[in-house]
Amino acid sequence: MFLYGWSAKHVGSGGAGFEGEDGGKVHRIRGGLSERRGATGGPRDVWGPGAACLPGFLGGLWESAMEPANASRPDGEPHGGVLAHLERLETQVNRSRTKSAERQRAQAEGSALGARIQKLRRLRDELRAEVQRRRATVKASTDSVQPDQTAGMSEQDVLERRWEHAKAILQAYRFTGLSGRLTSRGVCVRISTAFEEHLLESYFVELVIQKPLRIHRHSVPAFIPLEKMAAQYLQSDIRHFLFSLCEQLNAYAGRKFQADRLQGDFAAFLTGPLQRNALCSLLSFTYRADSGPSVAFSARLLYEDLTVTLPTRVTVACEGTEALSRSWEHQRASHETLFSTKPLHQVFASFAREGEKLDMSLIS
Amino acid sequence: MDETVAEFIRRTVLKIPMSEVMTVLKAWNFLSESQLQTLNLRQRKDSLAQSVVLLCEEKCASLSDAALLDIVCTQVHRHQKIWDVYQMSKGPGEDLDLFDIEQFKSSFKKILERALKNVTVSFRDAEENAVWIRVAWGTQYTKPNQYKPTYVVYYSHTPYAFTSSSTLRSNIPLLGQALTVASKHHQIVKMDLRSRYLDSLKAIVFKQYNQNFEIHNPTTPLQERSLGLDINTDSRIIHENAVEKDKVQRITQETFGDYPQPRLEFAQYKLETKFKSDLNGGILADREEPLRCLIKFSSPHLLEALKSLAPAGIADAPLSPLLTCIPSRGMNYFKIRDK
Repeated sequence: MFLYGWSAKHVGSGGAGFEGEDGGKVHRIRGGLSERRGATGGPRDVWGPGAACLPGFLGGLWESAMEPANASRPDGEPHGGVLAHLERLETQVNRSRTKSAERQRAQAEGSALGARIQKLRRLRDELRAEVQRRRATVKASTDSVQPDQTAGMSEQDVLERRWEHAKAILQAYRFTGLSGRLTSRGVCVRISTAFEEHLLESYFVELVIQKPLRIHRHSVPAFIPLEKMAAQYLQSDIRHFLFSLCEQLNAYAGRKFQADRLQGDFAAFLTGPLQRNALCSLLSFTYRADSGPSVAFSARLLYEDLTVTLPTRVTVACEGTEALSRSWEHQRASHETLFSTKPLHQVFASFAREGEKLDMSLIS
Repeated sequence: MDETVAEFIRRTVLKIPMSEVMTVLKAWNFLSESQLQTLNLRQRKDSLAQSVVLLCEEKCASLSDAALLDIVCTQVHRHQKIWDVYQMSKGPGEDLDLFDIEQFKSSFKKILERALKNVTVSFRDAEENAVWIRVAWGTQYTKPNQYKPTYVVYYSHTPYAFTSSSTLRSNIPLLGQALTVASKHHQIVKMDLRSRYLDSLKAIVFKQYNQNFEIHNPTTPLQERSLGLDINTDSRIIHENAVEKDKVQRITQETFGDYPQPRLEFAQYKLETKFKSDLNGGILADREEPLRCLIKFSSPHLLEALKSLAPAGIADAPLSPLLTCIPSRGMNYFKIRDK
């Protein structure tokens, strides 16, 4: 308790003991101290924090005990008793201790800074060497007669080339018709449809990999029976599901392509609008096989099998009620077989070619 | 031309805003180009309507042509009506239907005409295999009322049809029956989904609201994104709640996604539940009957508003599944009962 009283006093004067996480407290105490100094201006001020620590009734005791020690200090050493001497020795020890601690800290800081300097110097040397090396390679490439391709290109070119290559590989995967990528929850399958060397639309199905495998979202049009296929095959045989979906989408895309081509490229042959349903599984139109006076036929193509691009049932009839001459009958039957065996736009392309041949023969 | 037809055309043209008169008339495709050019768009609407009627008289417009004009107007202003959604179902085992649109139209018309002698049915094909049907209802003894028709938008090859809510409710079962039989289904059921925005209803029902499949990196962590924004702000400013904000953003993105939400105006919850309280006693706790109350959320764009609740700090994330399940379950009218 005695020593505590002493150390508290030193704490009050120097303020070193209170250093810690909250510098504010020190400020506040010091502030209080200065206020008090201003107010009373006596040795009692030094006790500020110390007195706060001690219980009130002891405060007076300490003050009276310490009075003679304080009075002796400005005069010099021989005054005061053993206690004062001990006090002086203690202050000396503490001072030397703090000084050595400070010296040690300074040394540690110095060595840390020295290590950092070394590290930065090493880094600088490395960077200098790197710059030298690159300059040398650039110089070598510009000097050489046949510039080597990979050395001549900058890094950006190399990266761009690699990026193009990766994109080309991705594109190649898409050409296979069925590709996919991983998502955060599962897998997103991309079905790229194609028909006869034409690339058509892509459709996506995103699956969530959970215990009952389920479709999270998709871009398949509403008239493809996706839910039915999913209910049948998704849980048991996912390959079957994907392949049948692929089949149906490819067939739909092929039928749609044929119908679009007929409406677009060969509109001259049609005498009325092309009637089609959403799945393009029923097409009905009237047409003439060649321009000029000829019989108009009405055709009705049914695609009962949704996985094929050729119709399953074709009916070609003659517009009008007059009986057909044998040549027209023959033509009608041949048209029926043509529609059943060849894609729609190719049939009309052949009509166009025959028309041209006829024209040529007429002219010549 | 009939007086009633003339009056009908006049009133229909009066309903169109001046800026859209030309587009509507062109889409109607009944008046010729030269006739359209003679119209003076600077005159008052009454006189414009009168001149349109005169032009139609020159071409002898019939009631079906006038009905087509009505359909075109409704197609342009589809958000002025409230649309209900109906779902049809086939019997088991019935597989393929080679949907023939002409056969559907004739079958639909025949059924309605057989039931009610006086009815006007008109069809107009629209984009994406949709067919717009307009039905003006009459009774056995009165002529059809052309000013209160019902519109049906049917998407072929799908079991869904959208009808405009009509004041003549007694005809709805007949309409449903005609639709079911003509499209070769067995049953028709009204879904709990209703909105003004037909396109949003379509997106919800066909699950087409989240169509962005080409994003290759949807999982960039939000911290990277937010760091990019913070470079511009003062580095002396520390956001204390950055972690919570990120968490809320992540949860909102997982529930609602990055895509624009389909547009609905309200969600209605009908509760019929018994009173539950932690404190024992009280008058309501002893009540055996369930309490009934109706909660309705309305907004110009309900789902976007719900999406912004958690980031704005008004609600906790994640939101209640009753609110977030609206697009995925395809309903905005809920009945909640005790289990």
